Amino acid sequence: MALSLRSIRNGALIVVLLGIPVLLLRSTAQDPHGMSGFDRAVRRIGAPLEAAISYSMGMLGAFFERWVLQARLQDTNERLVGENRELRQRLRELVHLQEENQQLRRALQMREKVHEDMIPAERVGVDQSPFFRVVNIRIDRGREYARPGMAVLSPDGVVGRIDKALDDYSDVLLITDPRSKIAVELARTKAQGILEGYTEDSCTMEVSKDYDVEEGELVLTSGVDELFPKGHPVGQVVEIEQLVGDQQRLHVVPAVRFDRIDVVWVVLANAPRPDPRGEGEGPLSQARGLGPVK
Amino acid sequence: MLRAFVYLVLGWVLIAVVGGLADVLSLTIMLPATSAVILTHAAFSAGTSIHLGLAVAIALGYLEDLHQGAPIGTLALSHALTFLLLRWASGRFAITGWILRAAAGLVSASLLDAVTLAVLVVLADPLGVPRDALLGATAVLHWHALATLLVAPPLWSGIDRLLLALRLDDRPPQQAYWTGK
Repeated sequence: MALSLRSIRNGALIVVLLGIPVLLLRSTAQDPHGMSGFDRAVRRIGAPLEAAISYSMGMLGAFFERWVLQARLQDTNERLVGENRELRQRLRELVHLQEENQQLRRALQMREKVHEDMIPAERVGVDQSPFFRVVNIRIDRGREYARPGMAVLSPDGVVGRIDKALDDYSDVLLITDPRSKIAVELARTKAQGILEGYTEDSCTMEVSKDYDVEEGELVLTSGVDELFPKGHPVGQVVEIEQLVGDQQRLHVVPAVRFDRIDVVWVVLANAPRPDPRGEGEGPLSQARGLGPVK
Repeated sequence: MLRAFVYLVLGWVLIAVVGGLADVLSLTIMLPATSAVILTHAAFSAGTSIHLGLAVAIALGYLEDLHQGAPIGTLALSHALTFLLLRWASGRFAITGWILRAAAGLVSASLLDAVTLAVLVVLADPLGVPRDALLGATAVLHWHALATLLVAPPLWSGIDRLLLALRLDDRPPQQAYWTGK
């Protein structure tokens, strides 16, 4: 079997070609971290091609990000919108809790100022006049705690007193009601008088002209009616009307905004004594103090 | 000669494209061995002589060495040996249709990886390569072969179209690839 010259030449060529990587490997083994001049030249020749391809791939990647992978962004967006909605809801709840907390803090501060026994009550309803003035409020304490005539206070000042005590709630007679009468005194001049309800948002009282009353003077409870604790703010003098004789009429604006009341305090200290018959069937006795106008 | 040059340029471009795509898509293991498909096409084409095919294999292997940071000569030698094995197989088997092209891609990629691993294991000491790391790398080689399987049919057709467009091949489109008589 004689080998042809062509076969010998082919075999030799293959061996020579295989020798190239073997020589490269030998060179690498001698200096594993070095690069020959030929390696650097090949890299330099291929650099523009690779840069162009990398740029094209980058553009392709941007296309994927903008158009194909936009669906993922949309999912993320929807998730974030949902989270945002929940967080807004929680924020609203926290704001509500903060307001409630502030009210309770003020109520507790009032408790430190007033030493009589009191019980807190929440406003559960209001009656408004055709002019949107609050003329009556309803609280969540029924006849189990409240008695007609008991004083009702808020941290800002006097609200009124219990008018009707029913099973689950009580109606409060506001100090602006014409039926209301409270013993008060002026903070600066110490002039005492009886504050009566006048209009839906004001009260009046008459004092002697001997007192040099000024507009803006504070009106406080005097405590002589044994119903309201002494020294609690009632309102402010806004107008002084000179009457015939030796009296002057003072127009007073209440210190309390009745449309903003949420929590009030019912003063129990001056509550009337329990009904000796003990059945509670008859009319409830009223607290001491100035009774409502019949 | 021109045919060998086309294989070489196409292989170089594909090496860079695969690297760029891997960077864009954040792929690290499931990368196709496009050089293996080109080697298979060259080995099973009767229009490519064994010397030119071997030269193309060595050149592509050398470029892979530069791109992959392998010890220079490792992939050149493994590409050369793989080409010779594929050339030997091309006289006994024929490749026709998409399925066999995909299978050829799978086999050639696996063969290339096996030869490369064998070369590195044998030359681990002089090249300063830890053998444990080489054995650990075998766990992800199947992804390499699978990716090549997926890429092989369209890439094979693309090479056919390119050679036809350059008038370097005049075979009918569906004719089997083999170098036997």
